[in-house]
Amino acid sequence: MGITVAQLAEGTAEAGSKLAAKLGSPAVVVYFASPKHDPAVLAADVAHSFPSAVTFGCTSAGELVSGAMTKGAIVAMGFGADVVARAEVAIVEGVKESTGGIGRVFADWERKLGQKMLDLDPQRWIGLVLIDGLSGAEERLMDRIGDLTNVIFIGGSAGDDVAFKQTFVAANGHAASDAAVLALLECPDGFDIIKTQSFHATRQFLVPTKVDKAAREILEFNGKPAAAAYAEALSVKPDDLAGQFMAHPLGLMVGGEPFVRSPQQVVGEKVRFYCGVDEGMKLAVLDSTGIVDDTAAALKTALARSPGAKGLINFNCILRTLELEATGQTDAYGKVFTGVPTVGFSTYGEEYIGHINQTATMLLFL
Amino acid sequence: MAGQVKVMIDRIIQERSKGDALLASTTQTKLILKGFDPARYDATSPDDPMILARLRQVAAELNVTL
Repeated sequence: MGITVAQLAEGTAEAGSKLAAKLGSPAVVVYFASPKHDPAVLAADVAHSFPSAVTFGCTSAGELVSGAMTKGAIVAMGFGADVVARAEVAIVEGVKESTGGIGRVFADWERKLGQKMLDLDPQRWIGLVLIDGLSGAEERLMDRIGDLTNVIFIGGSAGDDVAFKQTFVAANGHAASDAAVLALLECPDGFDIIKTQSFHATRQFLVPTKVDKAAREILEFNGKPAAAAYAEALSVKPDDLAGQFMAHPLGLMVGGEPFVRSPQQVVGEKVRFYCGVDEGMKLAVLDSTGIVDDTAAALKTALARSPGAKGLINFNCILRTLELEATGQTDAYGKVFTGVPTVGFSTYGEEYIGHINQTATMLLFL
Repeated sequence: MAGQVKVMIDRIIQERSKGDALLASTTQTKLILKGFDPARYDATSPDDPMILARLRQVAAELNVTL
């Protein structure tokens, strides 16, 4: 059966049965949907329409499907048992308050699998994670997941069409906010991961010396008021700093690759970020490059490394989408994925080992 | 005294990776995200009690006995 892909336009009634008609009888269904489709109704409808499948998904801020970026749609991918031999999925609720639910889910999975999460083969098993994009809990969740297993978890933070009011994740018929969906997939033929962020590091570094971690705010860089130090590094006036954020975020360098930390706004002399930053982390000032060309090159490299890929899930940052829209490149970006069955969505944050911004994290199924 | 931080970081990476290069790389990334870049510590790095205490906590989180 392999992998099948479906797309339903805004306003589609009886979405579950229409997805079933397009996806066939998969073992696993992953979907991303604009919040214009009632998340609770859709979750129940999809689960009802695929009674023998594991189903999960989340709300989006724009969607991706093979060859196109969409708005207001539902996109879904079905996986046959030949691609995903086994799948476990669970919702962890109350993530703003605690990450304790992760341990309980993993303990349950260990009982079912008869194997410890720490002992699972990370080249055969992959984790997917979808998190309420307004929970602010991503760093803690990803940190805890990474503590408990060597399986890589990749995913995104749910969106709500840029309303920033409420996002939902869903699994097996139940939708929730203040929650995360964890899915564990066994892929006998393997998988590949793409992380591309269309930035390169300059030789300038900023080190947070005073932070409010809970608020994701940096009070001081290099011992100076944060906004002034950031502006100085970019050789701009502090009043012009916010206008530089999209093109010049900061990056925690890991093996020469940035884990992007995107500034959100200047708050007095502080700078608020879209993800948490610790004191003492050496952050490179980044320069933007071309999203479409860089993504095409990253995909081409991955497909050369992993020929015969059956499908791809793309967790694409909403900031990248907004830039693509502003520069009239959404069609070009969508066309990058013409050659491989694709679904994805515009996220409020991306997950790959940790929580990152202004990045596309992609999972390629072999 | 010096070098204890480096010894502890190497031990965490070894215990989690069991010599697997991919897992060693993943564990290094996790440590960097937790605030401990292995490349910033060597045999001459001072044994700062606060750093050592935080690293013991990180080891416990990662289920590694030092």
